[in-house]
Amino acid sequence: MEGLSYAWHAVSSMPVLAAACGGVLWGILGGALPGVSPSIAMALLLPFTYSLPPLVAVVLLASVYVGAEYGGSIPAILIRTPGTNSAAATTIDGYAMHLQGRGGEALGLSLVGGTIGGLFGLILLTTLTESLANLALLFTPPAYFAMGILGISVIASLSEGALLKGLIAGVLGMMIATVGTDPISGVSRFTFGDPNLLEGIHFILIMLGIFALSELMVQAGESRWREGAVSEAGKATLKLPSLKTLWRLRRAQGIGCALGAVEGAIPGAGGSVAAFLSYNEARRWSKEPEKFGHGSEEGVIAPETANNVVSATALVPTLSFGIPGSNSTAILLGGFLIHGLQPGPLLFTSNPEIVYGLFGGLFTANLLMFLLGMVILGPCIWLVKRPKPYLMAAIFGLVVSGVYSIDHSLFDLWIVLAAGIVGYVMRVLGFPHLPLILGLVLGYMIESNYRRALLMTNGDHIVFLQDNVSLGLLTCAALVIGVSAVREIRRWRKPLVIALPQAQ
Amino acid sequence: MKFTQIKLALCAGLAAASLMTQPTLAAEYPHKTVKLITHSSPGGGTDVFLRELVKHLSPIMGVTFAVENVRGGAGAKAVAHLANSPADGSIFYGTTPSYINTSLLSKPEKTYEDLDPVVNLFQDPQIVFVRADSPYKTLKDVIEDAKKRPNQVRVGVSTPGSLDRQVMEQLKAETSAEMTIITHDGGGDVMLSVLNGTANVGIGEIAELRGQIDAGKIRLITSYTNQRLKQFPDVPTAKEQGINLVVRKFRGIAGPKGLPKNVVAAWESGIQKVLEAPDFKAWYEKDALVPDYMSQEEYKKFTAEFAEGQKAFFQKYGITTD
Repeated sequence: MEGLSYAWHAVSSMPVLAAACGGVLWGILGGALPGVSPSIAMALLLPFTYSLPPLVAVVLLASVYVGAEYGGSIPAILIRTPGTNSAAATTIDGYAMHLQGRGGEALGLSLVGGTIGGLFGLILLTTLTESLANLALLFTPPAYFAMGILGISVIASLSEGALLKGLIAGVLGMMIATVGTDPISGVSRFTFGDPNLLEGIHFILIMLGIFALSELMVQAGESRWREGAVSEAGKATLKLPSLKTLWRLRRAQGIGCALGAVEGAIPGAGGSVAAFLSYNEARRWSKEPEKFGHGSEEGVIAPETANNVVSATALVPTLSFGIPGSNSTAILLGGFLIHGLQPGPLLFTSNPEIVYGLFGGLFTANLLMFLLGMVILGPCIWLVKRPKPYLMAAIFGLVVSGVYSIDHSLFDLWIVLAAGIVGYVMRVLGFPHLPLILGLVLGYMIESNYRRALLMTNGDHIVFLQDNVSLGLLTCAALVIGVSAVREIRRWRKPLVIALPQAQ
Repeated sequence: MKFTQIKLALCAGLAAASLMTQPTLAAEYPHKTVKLITHSSPGGGTDVFLRELVKHLSPIMGVTFAVENVRGGAGAKAVAHLANSPADGSIFYGTTPSYINTSLLSKPEKTYEDLDPVVNLFQDPQIVFVRADSPYKTLKDVIEDAKKRPNQVRVGVSTPGSLDRQVMEQLKAETSAEMTIITHDGGGDVMLSVLNGTANVGIGEIAELRGQIDAGKIRLITSYTNQRLKQFPDVPTAKEQGINLVVRKFRGIAGPKGLPKNVVAAWESGIQKVLEAPDFKAWYEKDALVPDYMSQEEYKKFTAEFAEGQKAFFQKYGITTD
């Protein structure tokens, strides 16, 4: 109750409201620019928060995070360019919807899903911080490994009909994830003595290349674009989903909420893992899995709900352990420390006005995100209706300048261009992109935790069965692979059964 | 008599006046604005440290400081940026062991040897900790247990190339206790590992651990420092327990090669003063940073020795081959 009054006090004060509003707006814009991740959008603002009162500073930073997690989906849907890591999953069905002239609908789903997710995450954060913090402690190295395996097992169901190509793409992604410093021994792997590769290859570079640049190359190969025609998606206007639609999509949203809550609360997973896992699970439990990849509404709302839940629950490890679970929360932690606030179990009792004020500020930020989102989408849709040649040149410029702005590194640009070519070749040869991205996102988590778990038992694999969380997740993964295998065999047999009577 | 008194008073007055004008004298530093480069991202450890430092150093040296983040290449970019800058005292680098490590681990065009150390400020004490309910009271207990149950005691350390892994590997080698050393992605993960029992013992820094120390969830058992920490007088050093290991995780300032003497002197006196400034002292004592001022001469020698030690460690554990 006391907390509520602190929260009310915070949201009724002008500076906090202004911080929430400004933060969300900046976050949406930052998230929408390719290359500017939530953490970079926050980092750019951090120096300005030094002189602000502590509560205003942390609300500002946390609001940027909220806005950016949503903003990333705008270019993902409209121009197949994930603005943030965690919007990469949205690219698949969001852009497919856009091509069908349903881009406005997809944007509406993403906005409503994001708002619902953000508010749900906030409720969890406010009421269950302690239990969620304990959840973080349940995840030991074997459990992280098992979670990665469950995530990657989806390659089996994602690439039905082209299992071999899916696996090849997945392995390619995991190979890219091995570049850089070995997580356990510290040996430099595949860096060829180049310090640019020492920290590994950033996910976002590969995603921008694979999704955005390969799409530009495909479009450039079409003959129509010379005629200066308006893109097919010309009809798009923002359309918010009706309550009926939302009710129909409840399962996908539920999956997004649940997975977002777990992934946010355990450090190291973060928004992109949450988004991909919920995309996969939404597909697995969907009544119309065949629609995925061809403009499924569930395929948009599930990951977008999940990554906004993460923007709230990621504060759990930050506030209760003082451990940043991701780059973005690391910046937020910096914001706390600069103002002499020590996150940890005692923060709730020593500075309740900050903690509950932050919750209040985040609540406002989520509502504001909904309003600002609606205002901002109009101009965005107008922009993508411009004639194709201009649009494509602008996208290319946006991607290149966005990437360059991260670290002022030409090296990063070459990586993006190379990834674009790889993505284009994969498309031409019929390789699915998603397994590559999954392998890339999960590869590091799987490898480092596999080896860490084996260190615990001096090399005995029994550790994966002794840990309850790990056992449960691995069983799920085995079931998934089993079911997909059975389906694959049936599909393979069916034509024969039908073919026989025809032959007779 | 009277005359001498007046003369005395005059002298005292002059002395006072010259004291008062001290800041103006210091402002004779050849530049009004000085850039401090860090490879850490905004909000990261070194970034927060430098921004706090300049708040207190600026009035002492009569200079406006701008902290700039040059990220990328695990610090290689920041070092290259410095090495290509003019050595006129307008630009400096906030050092941590990682700038030496990156130079050794990959072959960047510009290495730590292309920079000149200027002064050192601090050592970050490395502390061994356990969960509050652990039976271990000292590092000795850990070693004895490890000898009784080889390969059963798990020690959590941060990244593979870090100084805290290094000291634990040295401990293992010197005491021939068979412990399992588990590396992590960062200090925060080590703490979680200790809290959930993945590791029995962890090593870290006060700033990261404070929240859990205050909440009574973890207990400090040993510090790898020369003397006991003021803030934790009950925590013994490793030395006291007959283990002659001290971690020297430094925080200092370096600049382009060939800095003019007056610039170095200005830094040497400025840093000595700021370490005594009460506001700054309150800040660094909160996180138990140990002030360890070194003049340029000492710091150069220290850096060279430190780099030799790192080279040997990287080779021994196969992190680099040459």
